[in-house]
Amino acid sequence: MSKSYALLPCNGLDKCAGCISREVAIKVCENSDSEIICPVLYRVADARYNKIAQEKPLIVIDGCNTRCASRLASEKSLKIAQKINISDEAKANNIELHNSLKLNDEDFKLVNIIADNLLKEEEKVISSLDTDFPEKFEYEIYKKDKFIFRVPKEGFYFNENDCYVYVVGNRARIGVTDYVQQSLSDIMFFTPPAVGSEIEQFGEAGTIESGKAVFEVVSPVSGTVVAVNEKLLNSPELINENPYEKGWIEEIELSDFESDKELLYDFNKYFEIMKRKVDEFHV
Amino acid sequence: MAETTFMGVPREKIDWSPRIDYTKCNYCMECVKFCPHDVYEIREGEEKKLIVKNPNNCVVFCRACGKTCGVDALSFPNKNETTKMIKELRKEMEGNE
Ligand code: SF4
Ligand code: SF4
Repeated sequence: MSKSYALLPCNGLDKCAGCISREVAIKVCENSDSEIICPVLYRVADARYNKIAQEKPLIVIDGCNTRCASRLASEKSLKIAQKINISDEAKANNIELHNSLKLNDEDFKLVNIIADNLLKEEEKVISSLDTDFPEKFEYEIYKKDKFIFRVPKEGFYFNENDCYVYVVGNRARIGVTDYVQQSLSDIMFFTPPAVGSEIEQFGEAGTIESGKAVFEVVSPVSGTVVAVNEKLLNSPELINENPYEKGWIEEIELSDFESDKELLYDFNKYFEIMKRKVDEFHV
Repeated sequence: MAETTFMGVPREKIDWSPRIDYTKCNYCMECVKFCPHDVYEIREGEEKKLIVKNPNNCVVFCRACGKTCGVDALSFPNKNETTKMIKELRKEMEGNE
């Protein structure tokens, strides 16, 4: 069965990575039942693309971290099924991007790798575990204008980077606090870490992203990723609704929580820090 | 007010801040716009139009501005080594008490 996507490349003409985004879109289009959305036309006349953007799973192809295509998708409130960042793919495949706008053989190699991956029929299976994590918590609330910042009162630890951990036995759930979700506003994409991968304390545990920014989840603990919250893949907005309950990010089998704990805050300290941040930075 | 300690360790002992690769930076200033912590300084009329003026204002383990840089000109210290260093510093400080 042929795949059918809506493809939104950044098509950045002044950069090698942008030119590659376009070639990837073309290649996928030629080999499947997909359609390309031209970002320039979409911006000025979206009626042309609204239908396909809503009906087909949307793949956003950004050339670089300026994320022009992602931002456009966010502006138009589109649901993103998958995201490609050409610069990251280049790094992962050991291909050095250059400054010339004419693509060379190496660039086309990268185009082929990325396009082939997209065309491959592959269902991601993500393990989900039934562990006993409570569904509801009690919160202390700090308000600023129309924004509400909740912090759970019991059983949570936090790091300076506004990520939390909640431990049950030798397993923990991690996620971000209300401060992160309020700062990012509408979260539109979640990139999970690989299940089975090992994470050090303060290592990257996936990213979440809104039209405003990309946030790196900074793991409060060290251990092995045993599950990710697969609901977030289709509904990242659960993080906005409640990042401590349905919006948890992943589960980690702990390797040394006693030692990790030394570098974490409890509720009292974090609530203080968060209030200060809200007062100083939240606009 | 800037935070002066991180988990009990004086902030200036922790080497954590962005490094700018001046061969890549095109002075788009996205990173400056993004960070609210007064880490960077823009210097009009100088060759290096952007510097890391207050490295100790940078939030330890944050790398957020790096993700706004379209040309990948920002890098950060190694996280594991930094964590190790902080733990050692804390041990030292306990020993001195
Ligand atoms: S975002 Fe990158 S290119 Fe732009 S000013 Fe900062 S370091 Fe330089
Ligand atoms: S890493 Fe974070 S705190 Fe440090 S300069 Fe960048 S955005 Fe600011």
